Amino acid sequence: MLNRGYYWLVLALSIPAFVWLVPTIWMVSLSFQPNDVLARTTSSTALGLVPIPFTAENYAALFTFGQTPLWFLNSVIVSLGMTLGVLLVSATAGFALARLKFPLKTPLTVLILIGLMVPEQAVFIPLYTMFADFGWHNSYHALMLPRIAVPIGVFLMMSFFKAIPDDIEEAARLEGVGWLQIFWYVMLPLARPAMMTLAILTFLYAWNDYLWPLVSAQQREYFTITLGLASIQSNFAQSEGLGRVMASGVIASLPVVILFLIFQRYVVQAMTVGGSKG
Amino acid sequence: MAKESRASRRVFGQTQAAVVLLLPFMAVYVLFLIYPFFRGIWISLHDWNLLAVAFNPDAKEFVGASNYIKVMWGKNITWSAWASPTLQILGAVGVVASVVLHRGRRLSKATALAIGIGSALFFLLPGFHPGEEGRWYDRRFWPTVGNTLLFVGFTVPGVTVSALILAAALNRETRAMSALRTLFFLSQVLSVTVVTLIWQIMFSPRQGLIANITELFGGSPIVWLTDERFAMAAIVITTIWWSLGIAMILFLAGLQDVSTDLYEAGALDNATGMKAFWYITLPNLKRTITLVIVLQIILHFQVFGQSHLMTNGGPNDTTQVLVRYIYQTGFRDSELGRAAAMAVFLFLIMGAFSALQFVLGREEE
Repeated sequence: MLNRGYYWLVLALSIPAFVWLVPTIWMVSLSFQPNDVLARTTSSTALGLVPIPFTAENYAALFTFGQTPLWFLNSVIVSLGMTLGVLLVSATAGFALARLKFPLKTPLTVLILIGLMVPEQAVFIPLYTMFADFGWHNSYHALMLPRIAVPIGVFLMMSFFKAIPDDIEEAARLEGVGWLQIFWYVMLPLARPAMMTLAILTFLYAWNDYLWPLVSAQQREYFTITLGLASIQSNFAQSEGLGRVMASGVIASLPVVILFLIFQRYVVQAMTVGGSKG
Repeated sequence: MAKESRASRRVFGQTQAAVVLLLPFMAVYVLFLIYPFFRGIWISLHDWNLLAVAFNPDAKEFVGASNYIKVMWGKNITWSAWASPTLQILGAVGVVASVVLHRGRRLSKATALAIGIGSALFFLLPGFHPGEEGRWYDRRFWPTVGNTLLFVGFTVPGVTVSALILAAALNRETRAMSALRTLFFLSQVLSVTVVTLIWQIMFSPRQGLIANITELFGGSPIVWLTDERFAMAAIVITTIWWSLGIAMILFLAGLQDVSTDLYEAGALDNATGMKAFWYITLPNLKRTITLVIVLQIILHFQVFGQSHLMTNGGPNDTTQVLVRYIYQTGFRDSELGRAAAMAVFLFLIMGAFSALQFVLGREEE
């Protein structure tokens, strides 16, 4: 199978793959170059793709002044909180819809299905006024709450729980174990792969979300890193220096890139699920 | 007896357990999705100034459909079949094509219906224009919708074609191929602000990598983001770079279902390489391709960050898109009622495509 044609194909594909990677390499490379050099030219060595002259000063500066560390922390709190919330409500609801018999089950499922059709962009104005009425803006819960009830999470968990064979559950029921215990001790441990996929899908979404934090967090102390980066990128040349803004970009991307490289299989699965159903 | 009561207790127990387990989700779902959805419709029926209502909750006034009229309609609007011939001819051709192709059994009922309705709208909507002494109440709304469609119209085919070719080429389980897949997918996990940060500087005429390369070959750099001819192209290029990965992954998943026997049989008939792609891969991926296209239309119709951060909707409104217009109307002009009306319009379009996606997904099963 691995004939000469194959090696030519790999070689031919390496060129577009490299081109695809160039913008990212460039960001990383610029983040390691001194700001005074960048003010003159961005193409010092190999069109700027190699960081010579080299400096780590931009990163040091990020952590001594500026709000990047705080925004980073905000993003961690919000993303983890949202992920936990989504896992909790999706796993419980998914289990109930997949394995329990109860009245009004079909109408409820349809009601949740309809929610798949409502995009965030269509409800952010009413959500804004609601949260303003509650006096909730500029807080962590305001950033987390609107995206906790995502229908896609319920359907992902539901289809997983449906696929578990009946005999596991029946064995427990014969022992007289209650439904909540079956859910917690029997089903939840089995559902780890599905929950992992859902967790990564949610974390990526939360980390990268821009529109809702933009309208909800007006005080800079509650910016997420995604929002903070947007707020400094418009005037990078004057105030912060190109190298430092690029360093912020690298820091902002680091968690999702690491997550992606370690859990690539789950990320791809999460994207496929998120993409094909909602 | 004992058995029966145990059974009934179990059913009762199930309902109780279901209530306990469903309650957290349903509470958040109703409060933060269902209720806001209806509240959005309610806001769209009011003259609702963000600041005025914030100071005095009674400062809103019920105005019925007035916001919708102010956004979408105008004075002395008439309809004619030749108002914008290109789009309307395209629409008419689309309607005829969907009927003919469906008769010839080349298209399934759902696909034909979708293309037919879409084309009919292309024929009907551009036909409206202000008559003598007439004008649109909101001059910017329809051009904004047009820009959004233009963005979708360039991005979706761009992503689909390149992702399809890549997926077909990378569909082998070897280390090298999986490494290449990782490289192409990497940009997908970056946030919109990182992506726009990179590309804003890539496109910069003074500091940009593209300008540096152009100068290397003696050309003069293009002022991408502030030139009316290139701003939309810049945003489309950025978006293709950003979102190619997901389409590629979905195509690769689809390719897993194409049996290798087909390729082996094809190889006997001398169908390898391009021929195999054209005669075996494409026909077998038809359903996946349709789904990926619909999915991307939904995704890219909601474009916001690229336009907001890279061009500010400019120059001269050429990259103004629908979600950014909603955001500005609501939060810069404080006209929440009108913004909500536009959001309902957005929902109707998105909802139609989601329904289509759902139907196509079901057809598959």
